[in-house]
Amino acid sequence: MSLPALIAIGLGFALTAYAVLAGADFGAGILDLTSSHSPEQRTALARTIGPLWEANHVWLIFSITILFSAFPTGFAALGTVLLAPFTLAVMAIVVRGVAFSLRTETPERQTRSAKLLGRAFGAGSVAAPLLFGASAAAVAQVSSSTHGPATVSSLPWTGLFAGIVGLLAVALCAHLAATFVTSRLDRASQPTLADRFRRRGLQTGAALLALSLLALLTAAWKAPALWHRLSTAALPLLVIGLLATVLSLYALARRHYQLARGATMLAAGAIVWGWLIAQSPRLIGTQLTIHTAAATHAALTAIAIAVAAVLIAVLPAFYLLYVLFAHPAPEMTR
Amino acid sequence: MMTALSSVAFGAVSHLTAGRGQMGTSLSFHLFFAVLGVGLPLMMLIAEGMHLRTGDPVWRALARRWSKVFAILFAVGAASGTIISFELGLLWPRFMAFAGGIIGLPFSLEGAAFFIEAVFVGIYLYGWDRLPARLHWLSGFPIALASAASAFFIVTANAWMNVPRGFQIVHGQVRHVNVLAAMFNPAWATETTHMVLGAYLATTFGVAAVYAVGMLRGRRDSYHRKAITVSLSLAAIIAPLQLGVGDLLGRTVAQHQPATLAAIEGVTHTESGAGLNLGGIQLPGHATTVLNVKVPNLLSLLAYDRPNAPVRGLDTFPKADRTPLAWATRLAFIGMVGIGTGLVLLSLWYWLRRRRNGPGPEDRLTLIALAGAGPLAFLANELGWLVSEFGRQPWVVYGVFRTSSAITTAPGLGATFTGFTLLYIGLSAVTVWGVRRVSTGTPGLPASAIVSVA
Repeated sequence: MSLPALIAIGLGFALTAYAVLAGADFGAGILDLTSSHSPEQRTALARTIGPLWEANHVWLIFSITILFSAFPTGFAALGTVLLAPFTLAVMAIVVRGVAFSLRTETPERQTRSAKLLGRAFGAGSVAAPLLFGASAAAVAQVSSSTHGPATVSSLPWTGLFAGIVGLLAVALCAHLAATFVTSRLDRASQPTLADRFRRRGLQTGAALLALSLLALLTAAWKAPALWHRLSTAALPLLVIGLLATVLSLYALARRHYQLARGATMLAAGAIVWGWLIAQSPRLIGTQLTIHTAAATHAALTAIAIAVAAVLIAVLPAFYLLYVLFAHPAPEMTR
Repeated sequence: MMTALSSVAFGAVSHLTAGRGQMGTSLSFHLFFAVLGVGLPLMMLIAEGMHLRTGDPVWRALARRWSKVFAILFAVGAASGTIISFELGLLWPRFMAFAGGIIGLPFSLEGAAFFIEAVFVGIYLYGWDRLPARLHWLSGFPIALASAASAFFIVTANAWMNVPRGFQIVHGQVRHVNVLAAMFNPAWATETTHMVLGAYLATTFGVAAVYAVGMLRGRRDSYHRKAITVSLSLAAIIAPLQLGVGDLLGRTVAQHQPATLAAIEGVTHTESGAGLNLGGIQLPGHATTVLNVKVPNLLSLLAYDRPNAPVRGLDTFPKADRTPLAWATRLAFIGMVGIGTGLVLLSLWYWLRRRRNGPGPEDRLTLIALAGAGPLAFLANELGWLVSEFGRQPWVVYGVFRTSSAITTAPGLGATFTGFTLLYIGLSAVTVWGVRRVSTGTPGLPASAIVSVA
């Protein structure tokens, strides 16, 4: 396997980790937005992501550094074309993160400031995956057509297909959060609260399934070149993604919460890799691929070693963090 | 003023100026949080360690209070850092296309350090009541180490922009990349040390300032006194070191960035046996300087170790290769060195007047000086960064790549600049609100724990 391909797979892994882990954090914000009547649900959401979200978020920074170190000209083209949606997305990420960390002190108390911060947290949590989903869809669209290099005006990030994929990303995040929180509450022996999140998981899962099918239909209708890639090279991943979503719904219905969580993570991974396979080896447009945009061999070697070293150092730390906060503490004072 | 505001609002500012304005606003905002992100964990570790050693609950109260403030500052700093990692590509795609493959290594390593930091921030902040006391204290060490490492890696990249090494340009293409030579360029050691020490110094004086204000408002108890003592103890070690490292960094600039040195030191015409300008600002459009005191031969001696060494003047460089911001570079440099010297003197004053084993001076004048020194120490960091950035212009990579060639071709920077400026104003306001909410007043300790001397 070539060095650029190896690094691209590492990048795919980092993006998957971001989609699954930070996706669940975004999802917590989305569910929070619709729990204004229920302080105990908001508290459960805040405690699930509280110690973890900052670390989850680093996967995004890490993905960006891999992208610009290994594929500098691809990064430059993506940065130029995505100025508008990514500016909005990064603003949303900032607003939600800061609002959450300021509100986290008193999630139960409904002061006016807490309400306002809660809404900012929720709105940012909806906007970020919406914009990322739409951007990914638009990049996939211009990379599957035959029009050559992508330009700012040719990126259809406000088109119908991009919009539906954006909504799909929002539903995916909400579903991740619902299954994560349900399984955590179930293990913490809080069956009543777990049951409420189970119901929300059934709703978000149904939405995810419906939007997945709608996105595929729209691709076939509006983006035939992309549909061709999706229905050939990425077909196994499409099937896995759809089956995993159905499985997560079934598992929630039968109260197998761990299975539901695993199936949702699998669905998220399949969606990310389905996108990556559908546009591989292209980064953006038809000319910039992981080979034509690659840095020099010496730089790629250094990046590959650095990425491997980072993962070896970081994964045990992540494991420690997750084990430590897997169960709610008897007393969670701060 | 009104026209300036409205032209910003309607995007009439030039494309490049809007991009530079947005990047500058983002970096100066982030720098404040980055500095505290490096410095505060060290302070928390010392306070918590003192609690483990002495059992004094005041130390624990200090560590917990600082960790609450740190939680907010870390969130804002991580958020503003994310903005910057995006802006590298959104504002400067052509620079990144050129430099990404050369200085990607320190950025990837910074990613690793940030990972470790974020993981242990989660453990530390949420682990106060979950972990045994000693283990909790130990979980703070990776935060302090990783945040300093982050600063180190990022500043090696800045050092590379000032003294680029580790690549060749063949027919307009980047070739023969040596990522280690790029990272460990001639400026890496002095620039990173100066930044990390600057972060510690600003944090120590910043913390001292907060508690000096508390004392000025009448809260003269052991809680406030311990905070000031621990801050100024650290400062007493770091401030003189920083002055020495600053001198070494000046030599690095003298050797590798002659045009920058001329701008920093206000050397307009080439001089052999150049004197050190203690003041001296060249007003835009004027050939002479104002408010100057010159110490003969000192600049040649400091920069090149020989009292008669020639120092190249700014006017010997082609106009296109000189910084258009020479006056601002000079002003920022004078400000930074002036504040740094003042901090050394203040720390000396405090420790010379401290009674053996007794409290330090707590008279009104000392407390007011400390209260003022905190914000100034942060200002010195910002000014130092401006010296690095303004002094390098018109280059983004000194002598190799011009800032004007780096800016994006995508339209709309007037709008994004306006949007981000509003965002930063909002963020500053909510951060101040949030920090004040978790940090007002002396925490509820048992009365016996706090020795009041008021």
